[in-house]
Amino acid sequence: MKYITTINDKEFLVEVLDDHHVSINGKTYQVDFEAVSGQPVYSLILDGKSHEAYVREGDDAWQVLLRGRLYPAKVEDEREKRLRVAAGGGVAEGGEYHLKAPMPGLVVAIPVEEGQEIKKGQVLLILESMKMQNELKSPRDGVVNRIKVKAGESVEQKQALLSVH
Amino acid sequence: MFKKVLVANRGEIAVRIIRACRELGIETVAVYSEADRHALHVRYADEAYLLGPAPSRESYLRADKILDIAKKSGADAIHPGYGFLAEREDFSAACEENKIAFIGPKPSAIAAMGDKMTARNTVAAAGVPVVPGTEGEAGLPDNELLAIAPQIGFPLLIKATAGGGGKGMREVKSIEEMPALLQSARREAESAFGDGNVYLEKLVEGARHIEIQILADSHGNVIHLGERECSLQRRHQKLLEEAPSSELDEELRNRMGTVAVKAAQAVNYVNAGTIEFLLDKDRNFYFLEMNTRLQVEHPVTEMVTGIDIVKEQIRIARGRALTYKQEDVKFNGHAIECRINAEDPYNGFMPSTGRITHSLLPTGPGVRVDTGVYPGFEITPFYDPMIAKLIVWGETRAQAILRMRRALEEYRIVGVRTNIPFHQTMMDSHRFMAGQYDTRFVEERFSMEEAEEYRKNHEEVAAILATLVAHRTTERSAQIVQRNERDTSNWKWVGRWERMHR
Repeated sequence: MKYITTINDKEFLVEVLDDHHVSINGKTYQVDFEAVSGQPVYSLILDGKSHEAYVREGDDAWQVLLRGRLYPAKVEDEREKRLRVAAGGGVAEGGEYHLKAPMPGLVVAIPVEEGQEIKKGQVLLILESMKMQNELKSPRDGVVNRIKVKAGESVEQKQALLSVH
Repeated sequence: MFKKVLVANRGEIAVRIIRACRELGIETVAVYSEADRHALHVRYADEAYLLGPAPSRESYLRADKILDIAKKSGADAIHPGYGFLAEREDFSAACEENKIAFIGPKPSAIAAMGDKMTARNTVAAAGVPVVPGTEGEAGLPDNELLAIAPQIGFPLLIKATAGGGGKGMREVKSIEEMPALLQSARREAESAFGDGNVYLEKLVEGARHIEIQILADSHGNVIHLGERECSLQRRHQKLLEEAPSSELDEELRNRMGTVAVKAAQAVNYVNAGTIEFLLDKDRNFYFLEMNTRLQVEHPVTEMVTGIDIVKEQIRIARGRALTYKQEDVKFNGHAIECRINAEDPYNGFMPSTGRITHSLLPTGPGVRVDTGVYPGFEITPFYDPMIAKLIVWGETRAQAILRMRRALEEYRIVGVRTNIPFHQTMMDSHRFMAGQYDTRFVEERFSMEEAEEYRKNHEEVAAILATLVAHRTTERSAQIVQRNERDTSNWKWVGRWERMHR
């Protein structure tokens, strides 16, 4: 089975050849791969080199915790990738962008107004959580379309805050 | 000694204090908010009482409820830890009125050092050098601060008079941006401390943040336990601390220690406290503020001096004389502390909430972890993002760095994002290794990309791991139940089996 696995915008072509062999970008490795004690903990011996990692399914990618570092990995088979590309998937540069609360918190301030033109990296909203004020920034240029919350309002995680067109 | 101590705090520091009490044979009382019913401090204490809902204003800041619980449970002392009520003069006074020992300084010392303007004036009068800034009265209005600012010179800092932990603090580069920054600093200070007053201080550029731990008893003995280097900060929040500082020699250590003792004596200080200094490029040092409490980073001092600061605090509050004299304090080796926060270093250090599904702590020689979390614990948005302190000791600074690097690799936390990759990158940073850093280092000259080579080398392994797990999951979900190998249904087969065995 062939997969296209993407980590930090870098694509790896991974083929599971059989229970003990995997090829990555054309290079074949001997693998011994075991789940440890029914937990999402995996031991991987790759050509004699031992690795231990926690792997769990995240919202849109697999989260691989390896040697203290976290790698978000998107795994797709060839069919899934074809479908995504056909559907115009990927990071949308146009269309509407919805800013959602990354965590529950209190809206401290909204330094933008509806209809205002904004630049990539501009602060859209200040959210207080864990005793810190966090600046939520725009991922691209655009116009503030609709503000759905007010300063002083408590919001839940993933709640839509405003949209940028 | 005390019979029962109420710990008016949560998280790792509550656990730390409970441990010290246990070792001294003292019973403990925990208090908790609704969000903390399953917290470790509740389980480790001998008694535990509910304070109220999750927000700290309705729980850990409710001095009245805490005092009621102390009386009801028969606690004869209260340890406030850090944060919450630790530096509240009225709480220390209320403990005194209720004849419950407050394990911390007297209300007068908290008042003198709690208001940063008063503190500056008091220690300056005792001959301690202070950073140039607003002089005289606290609580000046915006127009007066705007008039004073050009005399101090830019860049400068707006600081909350009731401040701490970088809250209500803003850096100002020019007079034009000052009105807006004054407003946001006041707003943050009001929200954090219930006091929106601010003052101005010159920004000492290229400075290092060095603080001296002191211990003072009620018999007039004051000693210092050397310094901690706390320059590695982000948004004025400390991230990593070490002892000793690579910048100090014995002569400067003694000089700063003597001044710190003088500052503590200026307010008749009793208990553990910390004098924070800025050290400039020319090795001049200035008093910044005094923290009249136990600090997050106290373990690095404990690791190099062998002195248990929490136990000393308890003994001092009981009226005992210090166990150590200045000449008994010997420094051995090097200690580093990394604050492990639920923050995503790849996404602007955004806090990360959620349930810790797995946690495996590093162990081995020279490693200490102070934490209040465990697998299954929920990180909520109500409290600080700090989930653990990872502290290591080595005979030399180089050994401590290598040990920290090893310990960070061993540390596994799954469920929330943590700043462990930040600390790993820091341990690989040549500037950090060389000890060449100041308070601006993280924000201006440190990049998560700096040591990303290591990460890239392991991307291939991570890709294989993710693919193999995804492949197994797909295969398992696509598995078709095989047809029964027998030629007939299970019911018929059971019937046949029973007939045969009649």
